[in-house]
Amino acid sequence: MLSLKNIYKWYNTGINRTFVLKDINLEIKEGEFISIMGPSGSGKSTLLNVIGMLDSANEGTYVFMNEDVFKLKEKQRSHLFKTHIGFVFQAYHLIDELTVYENIETPLIYQNIKSSERKAMVADMLDRFQIVGKKELFPSQLSGGQQQLVGIARALIVKPKLILADEPTGNLNSKQGEEIMNLFKELNREGVTIIQVTHSEKNASYGSRIIQLLDGRIEAVESNPNQLNGLNND
Amino acid sequence: MIKNYFKIAWRNLFRNKGFSITNILSLTIGITCAILIFLWVHDERTYDKFQKDYNNIYQVMANRDFKNQIMTDPNMVFPLASALQKSFPQIKNAVVTTQGESDIFSFGSSQIKKTGLTVGGNFFDMFSWKFIKGNAATALKDPNSLVLTESSAKTFFGNEDPINKVLKLNNQTDMKVTGVVADPPGNSTIQFDFVKQFNYSDPEVQADMNEWLNSSWHVYLQVNPGTDMAALDKNITTLKMQHNINKDKISTYFSFPMSKWRLYSDFKEGKNVGGMIEYVRLFTIIAIIILLIACVNFMNLSTARSEKRAKEVGVRKTLGSNKNQLIFLFFTESMIISFIAFILSVIAVFCLLSSFNSLVDKHLTLNLTQPFVWLGGLAIIIFTGVVAGSYPALYLSSFNPVKVLKGTVLSGRKAVLPRRILVVGQFVISILLISATIIIYQQIQHVKDRDLGYNDDNLIMIDSSPDIQKNYTVIKDELLKAGMVNAVTRTFSPITDIWWKSPAPDWEGKPADANLIVNGFSTDRDFTKTIGVKVLQGNDFSGMPSDSSAMMLNKSAVDVMGLKNPIGMQMRYGRKTYTVTGVTANVVMESPYKPVEPMIIFYRPNNSNVVCIRLNKSANLQKGLMSIGVIFKKYNPSIPFEYKFADQEFGKKFFTEELIRKLTNIFALLAIFICCIGLAGLASFTIEKRIREIGIRKVLGSSVNQVLMLISKEFLKLVFIAFIIAVPLTWWAMNNWLQNYEYRVKLSVWLFVAVGNGILLLTLIVVSLNTLKAARANPVKSLRSE
Repeated sequence: MLSLKNIYKWYNTGINRTFVLKDINLEIKEGEFISIMGPSGSGKSTLLNVIGMLDSANEGTYVFMNEDVFKLKEKQRSHLFKTHIGFVFQAYHLIDELTVYENIETPLIYQNIKSSERKAMVADMLDRFQIVGKKELFPSQLSGGQQQLVGIARALIVKPKLILADEPTGNLNSKQGEEIMNLFKELNREGVTIIQVTHSEKNASYGSRIIQLLDGRIEAVESNPNQLNGLNND
Repeated sequence: MIKNYFKIAWRNLFRNKGFSITNILSLTIGITCAILIFLWVHDERTYDKFQKDYNNIYQVMANRDFKNQIMTDPNMVFPLASALQKSFPQIKNAVVTTQGESDIFSFGSSQIKKTGLTVGGNFFDMFSWKFIKGNAATALKDPNSLVLTESSAKTFFGNEDPINKVLKLNNQTDMKVTGVVADPPGNSTIQFDFVKQFNYSDPEVQADMNEWLNSSWHVYLQVNPGTDMAALDKNITTLKMQHNINKDKISTYFSFPMSKWRLYSDFKEGKNVGGMIEYVRLFTIIAIIILLIACVNFMNLSTARSEKRAKEVGVRKTLGSNKNQLIFLFFTESMIISFIAFILSVIAVFCLLSSFNSLVDKHLTLNLTQPFVWLGGLAIIIFTGVVAGSYPALYLSSFNPVKVLKGTVLSGRKAVLPRRILVVGQFVISILLISATIIIYQQIQHVKDRDLGYNDDNLIMIDSSPDIQKNYTVIKDELLKAGMVNAVTRTFSPITDIWWKSPAPDWEGKPADANLIVNGFSTDRDFTKTIGVKVLQGNDFSGMPSDSSAMMLNKSAVDVMGLKNPIGMQMRYGRKTYTVTGVTANVVMESPYKPVEPMIIFYRPNNSNVVCIRLNKSANLQKGLMSIGVIFKKYNPSIPFEYKFADQEFGKKFFTEELIRKLTNIFALLAIFICCIGLAGLASFTIEKRIREIGIRKVLGSSVNQVLMLISKEFLKLVFIAFIIAVPLTWWAMNNWLQNYEYRVKLSVWLFVAVGNGILLLTLIVVSLNTLKAARANPVKSLRSE
């Protein structure tokens, strides 16, 4: 599905060059569930942002679904991103001014999907996450777990092939966190590729592969025998 | 998608009430001001445009070369019009009219004075007035026909049909009403209450028809489209020259197009130097600037609170929004605010229009049925929305989603410099406008305080008439006997105007090349006593028969002519020689902004048009006027008693300046008000951002005042920079303006010091009021919420 080759990213601080990502080589297949781990500042989020096309690298090649991302024009990249990638954030990042319903609907608007179709798709999603009763509420009226549910629903509404989750359970209590992780597992089983950044060993163990980052370098890639491939888990 | 945007924008409006109210208020003020000014400008710019042949109508004007100066005037000889029409086929119509006169019309027992025009028969072929009764083709067929305006018809006849009714003109001629036209629009240069035709069987008019010297009429031309006007102008001059007795060429004639009558009416040395157009342009610019100041508030507040919006921008970008879509979203918001402000402005304009009209002395209306009003409104909404929204839209939409979502970038910092520049710009304009207002006021006051050379208090002027001339001695006696009056005289022109300009008389030792123009004036005895002008040398006219060959000069004439001992000098003027018997002080009769021009004064009681009466200071004004009225009615029964106060007539000379003063006054107040609203908004945002810092400082022992100063300092600095920029700018601009006036006030440094301090104080007050709550709050609160 995607491959990163010799990815470098750095900042110039005076005469020194601070590397955030150093020679990252990574191949991710469709249907995988990847956990990225590492201490603070090891480059986890940056890597996720590069994969999510929110950030660029200084060097290297990134191929996503057979497209060389860094060589694409802004418009093509935006299109690729819009149709295939969904983001889930630690701090949910729902738009405060929009209701649950409208938050979920927003990505569809940016894909120019017709209003009637949007209605049906959002209704499905609300159904699936059992939040129909909350659709008129604003984010501030929801609990953290519920907000993250909305965040995931919003990421899923465009039927992405890839979900990028940046510490999705970081702000949640353990019960809520487990629910979210189970949800990811289920999605993965349905064929959605998931890449998550996490601090928690437990959450990381949901992944089929765990990538350990240290100082911008891939320190280790461990296959998770329990979840070798989400598909043949059961 | 647009629906969605509207929804979000609408919600944002209500979520941030303070922000919305500040923005809508300042934009409403800006737009209201702009609409009012644009209405005024539109009225000025559409002067005479209702005339159907607007592009082909001209007034014949003359540049008269007096060697030392060229003067331009529209005064023509009577036969010029018909001669032109006969000689040049490219002239469709040439019409002669009077310069406008007042006549008394009697109907039944009532007598009413109206001003109007006497015109050539083709007047209505050239000018298009809207006939309500009768029609243009037949209205002036009969020599005694009279066309009234709608409102003057109403004063005479009420709701009755005026057609074929007879009015007596000046107690002599019966005039039959043959037509009624709508009142000339406010934006018509030619104004009248009535129009009547020259009576060609009248021997006086017949004499005028062959008189090629007396220039007392106006001549208008209507030409065929595409006429070469430069060539025609040459022909006019040649034609007029052929009728000059001694073939001397003083005057060059030219046709002055209707499109320039209103706004380009000033001539200097024979060249058109603009006129009202400068103020029209200036006010257009000022209106736009005030609108911009209001837009700047929106920009500043939007970028200042960008932290709040940054997250939304980041999320939207990760959800697939591209930059253009975000820009569109922010423009939707600014458009909605602009639209709301516009609606409120229209309401405000409807409320304010009548007071604005009395301020500028116009009858402006906001006519919603006219397409230009809608187009203008749309243009204002879009202009405001785009300008106000542009910077925030570009700024906000450029946020990097990764950074804002991480919260690593203190967003809003990048916009600090542009925001500061904008605030400085706002205050530069405010300071400029305020200083300008004060300087204009000072200039007007300076000129009003000028020594006029006579006493204009309690001095009234009454237009003379044949009856008054005949009974003058009796009237004067009775006036003096009644005890309400100190002195009476009669003069050629009002003391506030000059009607007579001519080449200077000849005297012994006059330089050969001295081509001097002097003002002419004539009086009866008691001139200096009544007017209150000082006699510097010699004596006033005493009324002796010998006075008919006596002449007085004013001080300026003595100076300009370079006379050492003027008394007793012989002056040759026309065919007669006069002896100088007195020198008077200079009297300001024409423009109060100019030095007094040389004037020669003759003793010609029979050549008088005005009776001047000095009221007794101690007498009751109301009673005095009543008793004067009784005397005039007795000896001048055919004409209603009307009087003018000299000081009021003099005050009219300030009309343009007063108008400009009033307008700039309003502009300045609005500008500073909008600035203060913006400042208040910015101050509260600064405080919101620094609330934690304020808390910490207070815990560390800072006083409320120190906190106030801390916040105010940031703004005071900006205002100070604005002041530094504004002073030279104002100095330059106002110095330029003052160059228009020969008699002018000196710019003072203290004025700027005062304005600067005032603005700094105002800033301090506005910022402090907004900071006070935060500064006084218990620091525990702001720190706990961390």
